[in-house]
Amino acid sequence: MTTVLVVDDSKVSRLLSKQYILNRHPDWAIAEAASGEEAIDKLQTVTPDLVLLDLNMPGMGGLAAVEKIQAKCPTAHITLLTANVQDATRDKANALGIGFAEKPITEACIDRIIAVFENE
Amino acid sequence: MFQLSELQHDALVEIFNLGVGRAAAAMSRIVGEEVSMSVPMITFQSRAEVAKALGSAEGRRISAVAQHFEGAFHTEAFLMFPEEKSLEIVRLMVGQSLSLEELSEMEQEAMSEIGNIILNSCMGAFANAAGKELRGSLPTYHAGTGDDILGLSGKEWDGVVLTLKIDFNIERHHIYGYVAFLLDMPALQDLQRYIDDYLARLMG
Repeated sequence: MTTVLVVDDSKVSRLLSKQYILNRHPDWAIAEAASGEEAIDKLQTVTPDLVLLDLNMPGMGGLAAVEKIQAKCPTAHITLLTANVQDATRDKANALGIGFAEKPITEACIDRIIAVFENE
Repeated sequence: MFQLSELQHDALVEIFNLGVGRAAAAMSRIVGEEVSMSVPMITFQSRAEVAKALGSAEGRRISAVAQHFEGAFHTEAFLMFPEEKSLEIVRLMVGQSLSLEELSEMEQEAMSEIGNIILNSCMGAFANAAGKELRGSLPTYHAGTGDDILGLSGKEWDGVVLTLKIDFNIERHHIYGYVAFLLDMPALQDLQRYIDDYLARLMG
């Protein structure tokens, strides 16, 4: 079964991501975390195949969490899902070898992330 | 008194227009409706005048999301709506699946996320045009009069501030709001430098 970890300090963003993923794949398991630290803790009990990661969160930001997530789950597909649409951020995501998607979270945006993940 | 030349003023409006287009597209995706946005209006005002323009004198209450950006220059960014419209906007965002109680619980947090997306769209376009990076704080939600909102940053806005104001309109729902960026003197000087660099690049 495919497991997705949704990491975002915004509850409404987690709710929307979860809803749109389950619309497409009702059988997928969704785990949630509200910060980078919580996401890393979560990896003790969950092994995600796909990680949707917000950038600007209290405590450890999304980019700082990437390497730790990659170390624990080297096969996980990680996509930065952020309101920060700056070229500098996109470049950092590319350098880390992760995907980049712009908020707002819409069904089309989640579908695109899933399509990239499934075609990997 | 700080002044922008006509060319600098035009360049600033042009750069922010890129952000406005991006913010309008983002807002439209959030609410699933057509959203129109005005050309940015640039004014130099005192803090009191800005608050007055927001209806402080009449006690008009607004719902605002504030975010501080720093890096290439500093600015306090605000997304503002009439307070009574915020629940309607959140409803447009999350759809019909939540009860009114759940919606109310989520209102502040959802508005913060909307502010985060809209303000970052505007600032992102600016950062990209300037070839610089801007770091945004976490968004914070506030409700109150213009005076309450503008006093939030804890700064003494004793001098003139530059206000970049963009009106937007979610047409089918008759929801008007606006985005404002406030810059104090040191920020204006930094901003002026980036505008000059931008113009120099354009002119080769």
